[in-house]
Amino acid sequence: MSTLDRFRLDGQVVLLTGAGRGLGRAMALAYADAGANIAGASRTLPQLEETAALVAERGGEAISISTDVADSAAVQRMVDETLDRFGRIDVLVNNAGGGAEGDGAPLEQLSDDQWRWGIDMNLTSQMLCARTVLPHMTERGSGVIINVASGFGLRGGRDNWMYVSAKAGVVNLTRSLAVTYGPAGVRTNCIAPGIFPHTPQALERWRGGRFIPVGRAGVAWEMGPLAVFLSSDASAGINGETIAQDGGGLAAIGPTGWAPNVPMTEPS
Amino acid sequence: MSEFVPTPNPERPDDPFALRGRVALVVGAGDPLGRAAAVALAEAGADVAVASLRGGASEVVRVQSVANEIWSLGRGNLALDLNATVPDQIDRAVERVVSELGRLDILVNAADVVAAGPMEDWNLPQWHNLLVANLVAPSLVCRAVAQPMKDAGYGRIINIVSILAERGVANTAAYAAAHAGLLGVTRALSQEWARDGITVNALQVGFYEGQHGFGDDPESVQQLARMLPAKSLVKPEDVGAAAVALATDSGFITGETIAVDGAATARV
Repeated sequence: MSTLDRFRLDGQVVLLTGAGRGLGRAMALAYADAGANIAGASRTLPQLEETAALVAERGGEAISISTDVADSAAVQRMVDETLDRFGRIDVLVNNAGGGAEGDGAPLEQLSDDQWRWGIDMNLTSQMLCARTVLPHMTERGSGVIINVASGFGLRGGRDNWMYVSAKAGVVNLTRSLAVTYGPAGVRTNCIAPGIFPHTPQALERWRGGRFIPVGRAGVAWEMGPLAVFLSSDASAGINGETIAQDGGGLAAIGPTGWAPNVPMTEPS
Repeated sequence: MSEFVPTPNPERPDDPFALRGRVALVVGAGDPLGRAAAVALAEAGADVAVASLRGGASEVVRVQSVANEIWSLGRGNLALDLNATVPDQIDRAVERVVSELGRLDILVNAADVVAAGPMEDWNLPQWHNLLVANLVAPSLVCRAVAQPMKDAGYGRIINIVSILAERGVANTAAYAAAHAGLLGVTRALSQEWARDGITVNALQVGFYEGQHGFGDDPESVQQLARMLPAKSLVKPEDVGAAAVALATDSGFITGETIAVDGAATARV
């Protein structure tokens, strides 16, 4: 197979949570361009339907499923509905999640319920979706799971509690899924996005990403190729891996742009 | 539309992985990973210059045969008899790539010089030679491509290292030191050139089929493959496909190390 053909997903079905906006929508469009059909899921149906319309414009088939990824019964319905419509799931993208109430405040003020909700939304949800889709994938002997973590899954943040803990859990959940279901033909990898503002207002709030090593924030379309690569045969050698796409932030330490000049001293 | 609508890459709306119009230089193209990277980049549409690491008749013959493969794919090609431990030769090679193929967008440092043996048996010249081949030479090539890439405001540098950069195996201290060193070079340069449009990343490759000393002996292949979920070593063409993924236009992945190791480093 020629290399570019290995990146194609023609006729495959991608179940994508959080598909209504932001990176989820960008990934949906990239999947459609790669030839896949999309089952988009999230809490908010109107946004999903907008994504589905954009997928259809690109020649893909898309369905929209209203769900709550932290509720195992709702997750089961989401998977059943996808299989009823398409008969297969080749790729699961665990993209739903986000900041939780209580993150950003001192730990002493955090309630038990806030903690549990944040962990449920960002970690338990990904386990539930994987657990529900895996029997189908292992039966077919093939499948790909992509978990979306964050740079905060690999580093700490001030007053950041559930989000950092859950996303770190996602990174390691990825590894155990990889070594457990790899022999059954299912590869699991993780994407750790940096800052990808979804709106001009968000871009302003992040000061345009000037503090990011590359000097700018991520643009949504840039997530598409990485998601398609990890979903396709082109990434056959990659399993259990977390790939950061963050403009160089995680590779860095010290103030942005700091470039010390210290002359080499010769031995006397 | 209620949300910012992400576009695909406006430069390449049809296929984000196509590399038409790009020119790559692959150093160490006589080795299995270098050959695979060169062929994959050419299949994706790039014109490719292939260079040896240390020059010499047998290496140059292998590099020339890779150039012939690229020619048969209908892409521009150039075979370079290079000793990449000599800075003047590297500079001249880079000049030739730019003058004969028109530009230089992508660099893959793919040479893999394997040597292993008990620590007490290593003498200073052997240490020096292995560090020069696997660390100093690729660093010098990075240095040489910086100016043309900065002038163009665009560059994709991909350094290929072994998983021994991050995991210990007996008898491989010098090899591990060189590869870990190249990861450090990768991260530092990702910051140094972050605002020049140049991304610098690493592919950290597991033991692969045909790898001199590790993957070309049936007994060790069987032993090493048994540890992996897929029960087979990494295939060079999978490393080639990963190089294509890192060579795409998306410039937000930098300073990152991607394991192409079939989950070898995902497990304890």
